[in-house]
Amino acid sequence: MTAQPRLSIRDIRKSFGTLEVLKGISLDARDGDVISLLGASGSGKSTFLRCINLLETPTSGRVFVDGEEIRMLQKNGKTVPASQKQVDHIRSELGMVFQSFNLWSHMTVLENVIEGPVHVLKRPKAECIAEAEALLEKVGIADKRHVYPAHMSGGQQQRAAIARALAMKPKVMLFDEPTSALDPELVGEVLRVMRALAEEGMTMLVVTHEMGFARNVSNRVVFMREGLIESSGSPEEMFGSVASPAFRQFIGHYGN
Amino acid sequence: MDLAFLSSTMLTLIAAIPMTLALFALSVSLGGMLALVVVWMRVGGNPVLAAIAKGYIFVFRGSPLLIQMFLIFYGLAQFSVIRYGPLWPLLREPFVCAVLSLALCTAGYSAEIFRGGIRAVSAKDIEAARSIGMSGPLLVRRILAPIAFRHALPAYSTEIVLMMKSTALASLVTVWEVTGVAQRLIHQTYRTMEVFLCAALIYLALNFIVLQALGLLEHRLSRHLRPVPGGR
Amino acid sequence: MNIMTLLGFGDKGWALWLLLGAMLTLAVTAVALVIGAILGAAVASAKLSASVPLRVLGNAYTTVFRGVPELLIIYLIYFGGSSAVTSLGQWLGYQGFLGLPSFIAGALAVGVISGSYQAEVFRGAYLAIARGELEAASAIGMPRSLRFRRIIMPQVFRLAIPGIGYVWQLSLKDSALVSVTGLVELMRASQVSANSTHQYFLFYIVGGGLYLVLTSLSDRVFTGAERHANRSMPSASMGKA
Repeated sequence: MTAQPRLSIRDIRKSFGTLEVLKGISLDARDGDVISLLGASGSGKSTFLRCINLLETPTSGRVFVDGEEIRMLQKNGKTVPASQKQVDHIRSELGMVFQSFNLWSHMTVLENVIEGPVHVLKRPKAECIAEAEALLEKVGIADKRHVYPAHMSGGQQQRAAIARALAMKPKVMLFDEPTSALDPELVGEVLRVMRALAEEGMTMLVVTHEMGFARNVSNRVVFMREGLIESSGSPEEMFGSVASPAFRQFIGHYGN
Repeated sequence: MDLAFLSSTMLTLIAAIPMTLALFALSVSLGGMLALVVVWMRVGGNPVLAAIAKGYIFVFRGSPLLIQMFLIFYGLAQFSVIRYGPLWPLLREPFVCAVLSLALCTAGYSAEIFRGGIRAVSAKDIEAARSIGMSGPLLVRRILAPIAFRHALPAYSTEIVLMMKSTALASLVTVWEVTGVAQRLIHQTYRTMEVFLCAALIYLALNFIVLQALGLLEHRLSRHLRPVPGGR
Repeated sequence: MNIMTLLGFGDKGWALWLLLGAMLTLAVTAVALVIGAILGAAVASAKLSASVPLRVLGNAYTTVFRGVPELLIIYLIYFGGSSAVTSLGQWLGYQGFLGLPSFIAGALAVGVISGSYQAEVFRGAYLAIARGELEAASAIGMPRSLRFRRIIMPQVFRLAIPGIGYVWQLSLKDSALVSVTGLVELMRASQVSANSTHQYFLFYIVGGGLYLVLTSLSDRVFTGAERHANRSMPSASMGKA
C-alpha cells in the first residue's frame, strides 16, 4: 500500500458560530476504496462530506486530492480558499450525489448529464452526448434521456444524478445520503447502481443509513459520533464481535 | 440647495393634502362597498349576475383609469338626459367625477381581491358553521366575511396604496390635489427636481401612514395565529 | 355625423388615427419593458447583494418608484429631462430650449416605474430557484459566471414570466399617462378625436375598447409563453410520471 491516497483529509474542524460540529477528522481513501460513513443525525457526517469539496468551508484542516492540496488562507480571522479557480477545478474531480438529487429542473436528463463535460470541461459536445448515453444506459434510464426531472420518479432522478456526476470522470465519488429521500421501494434500484460502481473499482465515500450497503459493499466502515470518528474498520470487524459498544448501540437503533 | 424654495414649495403642497385625502377616503370607501356588491354578484351563484360582474371586472381592470375618468368627466356631459337630469349639479363637478371614476375602477380590482379571499376560506369552516345551524347572511357575516377579509388584507393593502397614487389623475380633470399643484409649480418655476422631491416625500409619508394603519389592523386580525402570551 | 363615418377609414374617419395610436402605445410599452428589465435586473441584484449600501440603494429605488404617483414620475422625467437636455445644449453652445422627445421621455418614465416592479419580480424568481440546484452547479466545478449563465438565468426567466406579464399590463395602462407629454399614443389619440368631433363619449368608449383588446391579447401571449416555459414542470394534464 505505497500508492498515494486518492483523497486525504487531515484534521478537519468546522464550527457554526460557537457550535463545533467537526472536532478534528482525518481520513484517507485509496484507489478503489468504498468507505461508508455512518452515524446518528447530528454526528457531523454530512458536514464532513461537504467540507471535502468545500461546499462548507472548514474552519481548519487540510484536504488533498491526488496529492494536490486545496490551498486555504486566513482573511479577517476566517479561513477562505486561496483560489476559487483551484476549488472549481478540484470540485470537477470530485463527483457529488445529493440526498435531494438537485437535478437542474430546466434541463432534460441528457442536458443535465452533458452540462458539466461540455461547459466546465469544455469537451466536444458530440463526444459528451455519446458518453452520456452510455452512462444513462448503465444506470438504466436510457429511455428517459429527453425527459425533464420533474416528470420522473425519485429513484430515476437519483440515478440520473449519479450519471451526471460520473460524466465528469471523477477521481472520487461523494454520496450524501443518496437514498434517504426515496420511497422504500425505490431504494433498491439506486443501491444496485452504486454497488455496480463499487465493483468497477470507483473510489467512493458514502454517507448512509443503509446498513446492508455498509456491510456488504464497502471495504471500510467509519462510525462518527459527536464530530469525531468513534471507531472504524473493515465491515467484518465493525459488524463482528469486536465492535465498539457505541457502534453496537447505534446499529441497534438504526440497523435492520 | 435652496432651502427657502424647498420650504415654500413644501407648504404649498401641504395645503393640497386635504384634497388628496378627500379623494382617497371617498373613493376607497365607495369603491370598497361597490366591490362587495360586485363580488356578491360574482360568486352568488346566479349565472347572469356572475357574467355581469365578470364583464365589470374585465372592463375596469383592463383599461386605463385615465380613459375611464375622461369618459365620465367629458363623455357624460354629452347626453342631455344627464345634463338636464337631477344629478347634473353633482356630475358637473370635477371632484365628483374623479371620485366616481376612482371608486368604479378600484371596485373592479378589489372585487377580484375579495374573491381571492373568499376562495381561501376552507370548506371545513363553512361546514362547522352549518353544523351549528348557521346559514345565509348570518354565516356570511360571522364566519365567511371575517376569514375572507383576513386573507384578502395583504393584497387589499397593495390596492389601497395604488389608490393613493391614482388620486393624482384627478389633477387632469382640474382637481387641485398634490400632484396637480406640483405640476403647476413645475410650470411656474422649472425647478422639477425640487418640486418632485417635496411631492414624493408627501406621498411616501401618506403611504407609510396608511400601510402602518393597515399593518396594525392585520396584526389585530391575526391574533389567533400568534402564540399565547405567557403560554408555553 | 354618422358614427360609422367617424369610426371608418375615410377622410372624416378616425380609425387609422386610433390604430396608429394603439401601435404607438404598444411601442412605448415595449421599449419601457426593456428599459425596466435592465433597471429591474440591476436593482434586484443590488437588493440581493451582500453590500449594505447597495441594498439600501435598491430598496430606496423600489420604495420611491412604487410609492409615488406615476404622473409625478412622468413630469419628473419629461420636464427634468428637458431641462437637462437644454443645459447640455447650452454647454455645447446652443441657446434656447430643447425638449426631450416625448416618446423617449414617456418610455423612460414608464420604464423607470416598470423597473421598480420588475426588480421585485426578478428578486422573487431568484429566491424561488431551488438552493440545491445552485449547490449542484458549484459541486460540479462551475465558476460563478457560468453558473449564472447556465443555471440561474434560464430559471429566473422561466419563474419571472407571470410577474413580467403582470408588469406589462401595468405598463400598458401607465402608458396612457404619457399622453400628458403630447405623445399621440392611444389615450392622446382618443382625446384628440373626441375634442375635434365633440363625440367624447363615443371616442373614449372606443379608445377604452382598444385598450381592452390590447390587454386581453397580451394576456393570451403571456399565458402561452408561461405554458411553453413551464414544459419542464409537472402539470395536471401531463399526469404523474
